Amino acid sequence: MRLSALLSAARLRLPPGYRHSMWPPDSMAARLRNPPGQRRRKVFVEPIAKDDWKVFKGDTVQVLAGKDAGKQGMVTQVVQARNWVVVEGLNTHYRFVNRTAKYSGTYIASEAPLLLSQISLVDPEDRKPTEVEWRYTEEGERVRVSLRSGRILPVPPQPRQDGIVPEQWIGEWDGSRGWGDVVGDTGGQRCPLACTDGPKDTSEEDALAKTYRPSLKTFEEEIMDAMGIVETRRAKKSYWY
Amino acid sequence: MGLLTQLVRGLVRGADRVSPFTSKRGPRSHNKGRGAKKLGVLTRNKKFVLVKEMVPEFVVPDLTGFKLRPYVSYRAPEGSEPPMTAKQLFDELVAPRIERDVKDGTFDPNNLEKYGFEPTQEGKLFQLFPKNYVR
Repeated sequence: MRLSALLSAARLRLPPGYRHSMWPPDSMAARLRNPPGQRRRKVFVEPIAKDDWKVFKGDTVQVLAGKDAGKQGMVTQVVQARNWVVVEGLNTHYRFVNRTAKYSGTYIASEAPLLLSQISLVDPEDRKPTEVEWRYTEEGERVRVSLRSGRILPVPPQPRQDGIVPEQWIGEWDGSRGWGDVVGDTGGQRCPLACTDGPKDTSEEDALAKTYRPSLKTFEEEIMDAMGIVETRRAKKSYWY
Repeated sequence: MGLLTQLVRGLVRGADRVSPFTSKRGPRSHNKGRGAKKLGVLTRNKKFVLVKEMVPEFVVPDLTGFKLRPYVSYRAPEGSEPPMTAKQLFDELVAPRIERDVKDGTFDPNNLEKYGFEPTQEGKLFQLFPKNYVR
């Protein structure tokens, strides 16, 4: 039982004492920092149920504590395992990246994660920090409601797990256009193979074209008529129970 | 090798008793089929006679100029049309003809075959009920 269950689990299974960081667990950096068999001191986090989680990527939040207390910003990353939220441009420290032997590196600002207790969601019209609760609307939809004013905080559209942005997807791409156009369009995805239709993809117009013509014949009868197949033999009567 | 490393780690001991014992496992002498049906009859002389009607034959129409492909582009919006119901099919195909005939005065309730009515499914190659074709 244990072996089959292990083999059939397709999702990445992390060891029990895994130390989550800002990188996703299947990235090279995370794999270097967390080799299999490593045991680190446990980090204690306030247990929050997955259903009770209120902060999502793209939300506007206000920082309540730390260097940038009182400022508002957009959430760029959420690490639920450590109750972390990374806000764009706030709570930054400075570091050098892309160091080589000769070049000291680029000096950039990098954001440090904030805990949920140092963060507060912001009412969309007031733009002041509020307490938020999950409630159900008349239609039965689960929404976040600000406790002070009763306004609904819509959950921002979440990016897809595979990182594809359908708005930036280029349809048919023949090699005539240069790569410069592709980079500009997709804002980050470099290779045109990663953001264009391949040879096995139906184009958008062909997929949406309505070619169905209703008829009283079954599919098989229509094909027989179209190909001129005549079948006069009939199957013998058979019984099943 | 993955199996061996897990055994070495001491998580599981012994052979795998739970996964199905297929033809891919076991020694070379272990010969097992995968459930293919017999396409004929074994005669009394132990000779196998193939029945041509039991051999499946794929009837594929000519696909030149066919625009649909296995996958769909990410640009196409999600969503689908509601599935076709019998009532919808009737309303689109048969009802206009019946209305036209009623207006002309040529509607005959005893001759509904010209609108596509089938009194019995006997004698048809593809019977609708009980369904005798595989889709």
